[in-house]
Amino acid sequence: MSAAGWLWYQCNVNLLGRGALRARRLLAERRAKSGSDWQSQCLAPPLNISPWTKELIARHYLEGRYAHLRRKVAWVTSGAPIEFLKALDYYVLYPENHGALCGTMRVVEDLAAEAEGAGYSRDLCSYARTDIGAALSGKTPVGKLPRPDLLLACTNICQTVLFWYRVLARHFGAPLVLIDTPFVYTRVEPHSVQFVKRQIEEAIEIAEKVAGRSLRAARLEQVAYLSRQAAQLWLTIIERCQHRPAPISVFDQFIQMAPVVEMRGEAYTVDFYAAMLREVDERIARGVGVVKNERKRLLWDNLPIWYRLRYLAEYLGRHGIAIVASTYTHAWGELADLIDTQDPLEGMARTYIYPILNRGAGDKLAKMKSMIEKYHLDGVILHSDRSCKPYSMGQIDQRDRLLRECKIPALLLEADHNDPRAFAEGQVASRLDAFIEMLEG
Amino acid sequence: MRDTRICMRSFEIRTDEMGGSLEGIEIPRRMEVIREYRQGGGSVAAVFPIHYPRPLLRAFGFLPVEVWGPPRAGGNWGEAHVQPYVCSIVRNALSFLGSGGLDAVDLLLVPHACDSLQGLGSILLDFVSPRQPTLTLYLPRGGRESDVAFLADELRAIYRRLEVIAGRSPSEKELMACIRRDEEADRLLSELHRQRLRLPLNDASFYRLARSREYLPAEKFCHIAQEALALADGDGRPGAPIILSGIVPEPMRLFEAIEQMGGFTAADDLACCGRRLYPAGSSQDPFRRMAQRIVHAPPDPTRGSPIGERVEHLLSLARATQARGVIFYEVKFCEPELFDLPLLRQALRQAGIPSLTLEVDIGDELSQAALTLLAAFFEMIG
Repeated sequence: MSAAGWLWYQCNVNLLGRGALRARRLLAERRAKSGSDWQSQCLAPPLNISPWTKELIARHYLEGRYAHLRRKVAWVTSGAPIEFLKALDYYVLYPENHGALCGTMRVVEDLAAEAEGAGYSRDLCSYARTDIGAALSGKTPVGKLPRPDLLLACTNICQTVLFWYRVLARHFGAPLVLIDTPFVYTRVEPHSVQFVKRQIEEAIEIAEKVAGRSLRAARLEQVAYLSRQAAQLWLTIIERCQHRPAPISVFDQFIQMAPVVEMRGEAYTVDFYAAMLREVDERIARGVGVVKNERKRLLWDNLPIWYRLRYLAEYLGRHGIAIVASTYTHAWGELADLIDTQDPLEGMARTYIYPILNRGAGDKLAKMKSMIEKYHLDGVILHSDRSCKPYSMGQIDQRDRLLRECKIPALLLEADHNDPRAFAEGQVASRLDAFIEMLEG
Repeated sequence: MRDTRICMRSFEIRTDEMGGSLEGIEIPRRMEVIREYRQGGGSVAAVFPIHYPRPLLRAFGFLPVEVWGPPRAGGNWGEAHVQPYVCSIVRNALSFLGSGGLDAVDLLLVPHACDSLQGLGSILLDFVSPRQPTLTLYLPRGGRESDVAFLADELRAIYRRLEVIAGRSPSEKELMACIRRDEEADRLLSELHRQRLRLPLNDASFYRLARSREYLPAEKFCHIAQEALALADGDGRPGAPIILSGIVPEPMRLFEAIEQMGGFTAADDLACCGRRLYPAGSSQDPFRRMAQRIVHAPPDPTRGSPIGERVEHLLSLARATQARGVIFYEVKFCEPELFDLPLLRQALRQAGIPSLTLEVDIGDELSQAALTLLAAFFEMIG
């Protein structure tokens, strides 16, 4: 990096950018303490830590904007083993998280239209359309996304990411590294773990070549340790929702999970979740529930509906219903113990082959049943997400089994995680009303 | 023209009604083949799309019979298990199974071709629990040495499962014999594709012949293919040559429509046909050899082939056949296909080759809208 580049980076990111973001956070914290911004009658105010989350996310994208002045940039899928990239000092960007951010900021229609205009079908994943639309048009609510020097796609969340990243590879002319994780229909086969490990080794070689530096074992162990700590803290936090009333809802979890997804392997992420845990424990000690009059507790299956988080939280909150657990948010913590800091490569292979989306539909049903017990739940909402077939296929049978075997109401709610055009508000409200009647009955 | 019957699936289609013939060559019906094979002491495996090791199944005495939907699956059993945004191949497969269409088979094999087929395998194993044993096969998504090694290991794992199911352990020699027979069948299938314009067959007849590979034992297919190749003495066909790309040409009435509009299929990039013209393997290890054949097959998005390879493949097909256009005939909701389309079409456009996309549900007849688009396309390419 040139001296001018270094200076420009320090000036924009560390001096002006961080300062401005910290000031914005302090102001937001002050406003939150006064409680003047919060209108809801049925929901507790957002966590005090929320401005910190916003600061982390904003800082992450700010660093991305100037990343090329300092280091290489990798775009990765959300379930990819990123520890070696972090250890090689890559700036790591998650297009899915960027997609989710666009979803919450309600700019997806515009970006998806860019992709659709270029010929990408509306039947394709809405994250992919959002991301491809952003890549084609250069539009993004975060200012600017850095061009990737390397693309890393891991199929442990879906096959879609491979097709999507092949499009990105062609668009950016960047090398695409594939980590193919054989689907676990019943059990993890040793040859599958070895296959994943071999690919991680191959991926490291390519990443080293692109970065122009060698991976240091000690640094990798350190990053793996921090990843594991953040994932463990995250799991501890969401397990606090076993408490009645639940201190936070899945809607809080959806927002607060951003750092554990896109900032794994960083000390500041560990600090953040340690602080969040303290706040959640304080809420429990004070008897604060996220729904002011919690009467029923639900499980959420599948991705969030990013553009309707507040709507759903309030709709259900008005009826004293809290959604306290989710297979989706749980997925980012449940594998923490598999992260092996002593043998990071083997540990990575074992961890990254085993997320919920890479396991059979029966396994997910078993997970839901255990969560129903553990979190004392009264019902389940299965978001039938037309943009996520691997998560959604099997839900019809899962719902039927939950009704029959657990004797609890289960609702299949049709929508799309990012594309608001697939959300029929009237229909959703009718389905929710009928479901609430079943819960009350 | 003689009234030759070419029989596919569980129904008959008179070739003369389709405007073509396959002189003197009888292609047995699928149900007849199954019955005859079982009478000979063999068992039958229903195999879902797309890539799988035929010789491995044959070595254990299982005749692989492929299930691409099928288009006319009865009932709506599939809808009771999968959402409407899942492709009709998977939905129909479930309906076909639920309506007893697979009662005559002894084994189910679900290769992992995409998220939807992954879901199908998972639903079968975890919820439907058919009376037949259900095996799954994960196909690696790259062309690296590690992919070949993994697939060979995966095939060894299937071998061990089949040992338990079939109660026998074919020797390496027996397995190699099955592989060599299969390689010969695929060599002849490739030859049929190369010689297709010299055969006295229209598209519908050609694809009935080529797709009989989906259920005929390799040795029978070799016999029929050799008979067909002996008829190759023509010098091309009149009309506008096109390339057909996609998953499966269902409903097959598509070919009739293409012919009526003055075109013909000069080559294909179909998952059920052209993307399965497997080369012979080189390894003397039977598992590696079977893996090599699948990993080194023509480009296919479901095996993770880069878009550039697909572009090159389509352009080389177009050059070899002087095709005037490419029709992408897609099954609705098929993500592996839909993702590549814009860049493939862009590359074709840059090469001066027009293209058309048609999306279908394999259970439906060709819509009027699709026919209109086809007509306009053939008007354009002349």
